[in-house]
Order: sequence, then structure tokens, then C-alpha cells
Amino acid sequence: MLCSDDKTKSHFVQLRSRSRNICLLSGCWIGMLFFFTMILPITTQAMDHSKMINCDVHHGTCTQKLQDTDIILDISPKPVKAMTDLKFTITLTGKQGVSEPFIDLGMPGMKMGPNRVLLKSIGKGVYSGTGTIVRCPSGKRIWKATVTVPDKGSVEFIFDVIY
Amino acid sequence: MSSIEVLYLTFLTTGFVVGFGHCIGMCGPIVVSFSFNLKTKGVMAPNLLYHAGRISTYAVLGGVMGATGTFTRITTGIGGLQKGAMIFAGLIIIVMGLGMSGWIPLGRIFGDHCRPEGIISRSFRKLSGIQSTAAFLPLGLVLGLLPCGPVYTALIAAAGLGMETQDTFKAFLSGMGLMTVFGIGTVPSLLMVARLSGMGWLKSRDIIYKIGSIMMVGVGIYFLIKGLRY
Repeated sequence: MLCSDDKTKSHFVQLRSRSRNICLLSGCWIGMLFFFTMILPITTQAMDHSKMINCDVHHGTCTQKLQDTDIILDISPKPVKAMTDLKFTITLTGKQGVSEPFIDLGMPGMKMGPNRVLLKSIGKGVYSGTGTIVRCPSGKRIWKATVTVPDKGSVEFIFDVIY
Repeated sequence: MSSIEVLYLTFLTTGFVVGFGHCIGMCGPIVVSFSFNLKTKGVMAPNLLYHAGRISTYAVLGGVMGATGTFTRITTGIGGLQKGAMIFAGLIIIVMGLGMSGWIPLGRIFGDHCRPEGIISRSFRKLSGIQSTAAFLPLGLVLGLLPCGPVYTALIAAAGLGMETQDTFKAFLSGMGLMTVFGIGTVPSLLMVARLSGMGWLKSRDIIYKIGSIMMVGVGIYFLIKGLRY
């Protein structure tokens, strides 16, 4: 049987344990609140790849230079939407190589698996193929098309897509 | 090595690589929630069943993509299901988190005291009873429908295989095989997460449990919002 002192002591221990738990849980909630309101927006901003955009695919073609060749990318239909069949057209100016160029689709800073658009020649220096830009459930909309011209190298077109 | 074998190997590797990056971030919270919810039980068997269910769904989707040779039409068709799977995942994690904490007497609110044969009571009993090992297989089958970028990419490849193969049945099998190897590739990373979060010393601490349940509710809300906005 517990004497009055022991009872008080046990009650005090229980109270202390309960208040410690309450403090820890409150701390956890505050931490989560802090994380979602302060840290997450900052890190999201830091990982914001929108500053990398170098191509407005929704309103026309985009051009980049690779050695002595201009690489012109066009994606249709416009505006460019994810999860739809898209036609990719590459126009190369200057001296033409033997092999056909190809496009690898991916997201900057996120591995999405190999998604290659094979292109076929449809005219002098013009290549075309179909592909799909998939929708990332994270909500990130910045995509990258890496155009590789065999024997010359590759260039990156970074753009946003509509989900 | 034939071109299809090369493709299988590529997607097995892809599954493994994206597993340790993308999958841990996107699907890791689900696996952690399950492991926490299993309390004192072992985590391996339920998790293996969950992955078997998830890979089965991938395989069926891959087979359909292969047989039809189309990606966009099928994904448009199952868009509603995927949204539903995301909302379901959010709800299940919230219920697990709340149930685990014991702060809210969910059993009294939604359980048998409500209307024993009502849809809410029955659903609650099913959702909160996800501690039995066998329940993880159907759970994996449903959550295999969760929208995911790398899964979409693998499905595009499965559809591509279908376009190259004349025989529909062969195309179905090729698509199915590709998605199966991709799914298998993603398993090691998620099993590792489950194993770490299911460690005995972690589970034996009441406070960690409580913190875990708060995080589960947070993650569930995140999934729910993402699902509603998808």
C-alpha cells in the first residue's frame, strides 16, 4: 500500500511525464508548422528550376547553337501539355551529319527514367518524331529536352509544360 | 542480348536508381506509415505482399499499354482511378495515424457504435484493420495505381514495345514483363525504408510513436490535397 508521500511522489512523476509528453508533442506540432510554412517554401524556392527556363515552347520555336550548327526545336500542338501525344521537330542548319538526332525528355534535378524521342528525317535538315511528356504528381512543371546530335554533342532546352 | 532484353535490363536499373531517389521521396511516407502501423509485427512479409500487389498492377497496366500500343489514351482513361488512389492513400494514412495515436476515439465515432452495418463503420473497420498481413496485397494492388512520373515513363516504353510488336499477345507479355522488372527494381529501396522505420527500438518508444502518428497525419493530408488537386 502506498503512503501519502509515495502517492504524491507517484502523482508528481506521472504529471512530469505527462507534461514532458505534452511539451514534446507541442514541439513536434510547432516544428511541423514551421517546416511547412517556413522551411518548405524556402527549399522549394531553392529547388525552383524556373530560373533555368531557356525556351518558350508555347509561343514558337527555340534555338540553340552547337558548334557551327543551329538547333531549332519545335513542339506541337501548342500550348504544350503533359500526358498528350506531342510532335517534336528538330531543324539543323549548317553541315549535316550522317546519323539522326534524338531527344531525351527529363526533369531538371529529378530522375524520371529514360524517355527518348526518336526522330526521322522529313526533309533536308528537318527531323520529326512523337513523344509524351509525363505529369509529375509533385506538381513540378519544368521539363528539359536534351537534343543530341551524334558526333557533335548535345544541347538542353528547358521549358515549362501545362498539367 | 536481344533489344528487348536490353530494355528490360535498362528498366530494372531505372527502377533501382529512381527507387533510391524518387520513390523514397514519393512513396516512402506510405511505406513508413505501414511499418509504424504494424506495431510489434514484422514488417518484411506485409511489405513484400504490398510490393507484390503494386507490381501486379504495374504489370497489368504494362500489358494493356503493350497490347494497345498507346499510352495517352489509357492514362486518360484511368486518370480518375489514379486520382482516387491518391485520395485513398491520403485517407488511409490519416486514419492509420489517428488510430495509432489513440488521441481520438475513432472506434467510438466511426466504429460499431455508429451504425454497425453502415458504410462508414464498415470502411473504418477495414481501414483500421490494416494490420493483418494479407490485407497488404489488395492495398498494393490499389496503390499501384498512384500517379508517378517514373512509372509513366516505363509505361511509355511498354506502349513503345507494343507498337513494335505485331502479335497482340506477345506485345501484352512484353509490356507486362517490362513493367514487372521496373517494379522489381524499385523494391530494394522501399524495403530498406520499411526495415529502418520498422526497427524494434524505434517502435518501442512511445513518444516516437506519437511523433510518427502526427507525421502520418501530416503526410496523409499532403497526399489528400495532392489527390484532390491532381
